Amino acid sequence: MKSLFRNCIYQGKNLFRDFGFVFWSLLYPIILSGFFYVAFSGIMNMDFKDIDIGIEEGNPIQYILEEIDILKVHTISRDQAEEKLIDEEIKGFIDGDLNLIVNKSGINQTIIKEILEQIRQMERLNRPLENYDFQVDYILNKNQEANMIVIIFYSLIAMVSTYGVFAGIVAVSLIQANLSHIGARINITPLKKYNFLIAGVIVALALNLFANGVLILFIKHALKLQLFNEIKYSSLFIFLGNLLGTSLGILIGASNRKSHGVKNLMAIATTLFLSFLAGMMSPDIKVIIDKKMPILGGINPISIISNNLYRINLLGSTKSVREGALLLTLYSILLLFSSYMFIRGRNYDSI
Amino acid sequence: MTVYRYFIKIALRNKWTIIAYTIIFFILSIINSSNSTQGEASFIETKLDIGIVDNSNSQLSNGLKEYLEDKNNIVEVGPGEEAIREQIFLEIADAIIVIPEDFEERVINKEKALEVYRDDRRAESIQIQNQINKFLLFANATYEVGKFDLEGMKAALDEKIHVQLIKEGHKGTGEGIGEWFRYYFNFTGYVIMAIYIAVLGLVMADFTDPNIKNRRMISSKRFLDFNREIYLGQLSVASVITLIFILGCVLIKGKYIGVINFHIYVINTLALSFAILCLTYLINNVTRSKFVINGISTVLSLGTSFISGVMVPQELLGDRVLTIAKFFPTYYFVRINDMGPISLLDVRFEILMQILFGIAFLLMGLYFSKTTQRA
Repeated sequence: MKSLFRNCIYQGKNLFRDFGFVFWSLLYPIILSGFFYVAFSGIMNMDFKDIDIGIEEGNPIQYILEEIDILKVHTISRDQAEEKLIDEEIKGFIDGDLNLIVNKSGINQTIIKEILEQIRQMERLNRPLENYDFQVDYILNKNQEANMIVIIFYSLIAMVSTYGVFAGIVAVSLIQANLSHIGARINITPLKKYNFLIAGVIVALALNLFANGVLILFIKHALKLQLFNEIKYSSLFIFLGNLLGTSLGILIGASNRKSHGVKNLMAIATTLFLSFLAGMMSPDIKVIIDKKMPILGGINPISIISNNLYRINLLGSTKSVREGALLLTLYSILLLFSSYMFIRGRNYDSI
Repeated sequence: MTVYRYFIKIALRNKWTIIAYTIIFFILSIINSSNSTQGEASFIETKLDIGIVDNSNSQLSNGLKEYLEDKNNIVEVGPGEEAIREQIFLEIADAIIVIPEDFEERVINKEKALEVYRDDRRAESIQIQNQINKFLLFANATYEVGKFDLEGMKAALDEKIHVQLIKEGHKGTGEGIGEWFRYYFNFTGYVIMAIYIAVLGLVMADFTDPNIKNRRMISSKRFLDFNREIYLGQLSVASVITLIFILGCVLIKGKYIGVINFHIYVINTLALSFAILCLTYLINNVTRSKFVINGISTVLSLGTSFISGVMVPQELLGDRVLTIAKFFPTYYFVRINDMGPISLLDVRFEILMQILFGIAFLLMGLYFSKTTQRA
């Protein structure tokens, strides 16, 4: 136990002093989340604004349009209309014959069109005005904020939760004689290899969890984004992400004799590709995959983590928690077992 | 030309960086091209993606469904409220309408007659609200002797107004195509920066390795010749990279280059390439650590792209962000791409700014180069 603790201290110091770890695990996610925020905060905070429309002085429908809450009516001449449309000061101009003039197609223009058509359609329906009760709203509103962009942040957190993969690669190279000088030295001593490996796993988990915590605090306090409303299950998934990442790192480290750089590349490529499928580059990718290949979305570990994070925190749904947690645990066990098969009883005639 | 030959040889060793960026870029471009429209010759109504769960299956609910299906795209509704909320959250559907069993009765009594899941901050939410309320307003207005006049309503709802697009007639290019070129070249800016810094930076790191440098210094190779070949190598690699993306555009959308101002996009890309090449020169004179170069390549290319409007349009970025972006050439590059069909004269300022940035980076690079030589 004492040696395990000592190994943890040394490996922890070693890893923390590694500029590569500090940059990629600690700084890079913070920088990336900052960029995401700069780029997407405008979209995330988009609110509906009244639609500006232009109308000629004396148009008989002006008083009707002024009664509609979502419209902001400007009285302008026909000559001014084109310029204001091009400058996007108004979304549409209505002439005396109830024709709509617009600069481009879009949702706001379609809303104006629908309103104008209603006036014409009521004429066509030819019912007395008292038959129409404009005060009634037949809709029972079930509001649900749409925020697809936030998927990017959850996938980023999911991706960096697996960044224990790098520390996992280092941990396994420390006990393999053919991969590092320390490994060679350890192999000729009576010291237990598994002690070093367990210490490596503990350090990988602890430091990466620390890095994840820093990122989450940065998102919450610096970017002022409230992504976590629930702690218990969210922590569980971030922990399982860490476990999976570290296990993957151990497997990558143990399964081949490639250089440290190549192993890191394998780790980056794997986590980045899975994050891409989970929607980190564009949430549309996630939606397309969920639609066309739902199984892929269901088994991708990064998707499992990010999907559960937004479901738990923003939708208040825990329906996929058990299944997701089980699958991630199973992946970690499988990865660790495979790594064990590579590491166990390995002897070196020459290195 | 030994130095030049080895420069190219080492650059080719990093081919996987170029290939990886290029493949991902072209896959995304091709996916994007399948979404680009031919442009709007006339007004196109915006159709929403909506889901309908009809528990009533009455004459009125069927009429409403028919009307909404005609105006919108219908998406499949997930099972249960959690799935519905997730569909709205992920913007798979703009609205999901749940019609209860006693729908007709509620409409007649002017009560809340159906549930609509939507995000009420969005214009799409207003649109679906208007459509539903209009239909039910008409339904109640025609309700006589226990019956709705759905036929009469249908005839009335078919009544349209004329919508005129001010650009009709002189809209030869098509906004969809213009949009595609805008995205393509904006992303080219990002990829060019990432590849230039990564590849040229890594090659230069090999040449500035102390052992190599010492060997060169005692060799008969003149410093001027060495530098000339290095610059030629950088220029060759940079030209090939830029050419890949310009030719790629011609290959994917070659038939449209006549209808957009393709020469402006090309000149703009060349101006940015020059600025980034000079920036790479500066970086190479500041650091020779491969690790730092990799970091700078990732952070600088992503960072300037995010703040300059490559990832999202500049109009959605805050003023403060854009003020910072003005200190990078990518901002001016994106501005030109976003301007659409224009003449070269209109973009002279932005082109000039990119070239000036290039010259500034070059001068700074030369300064650091001299400082390193003296040290």
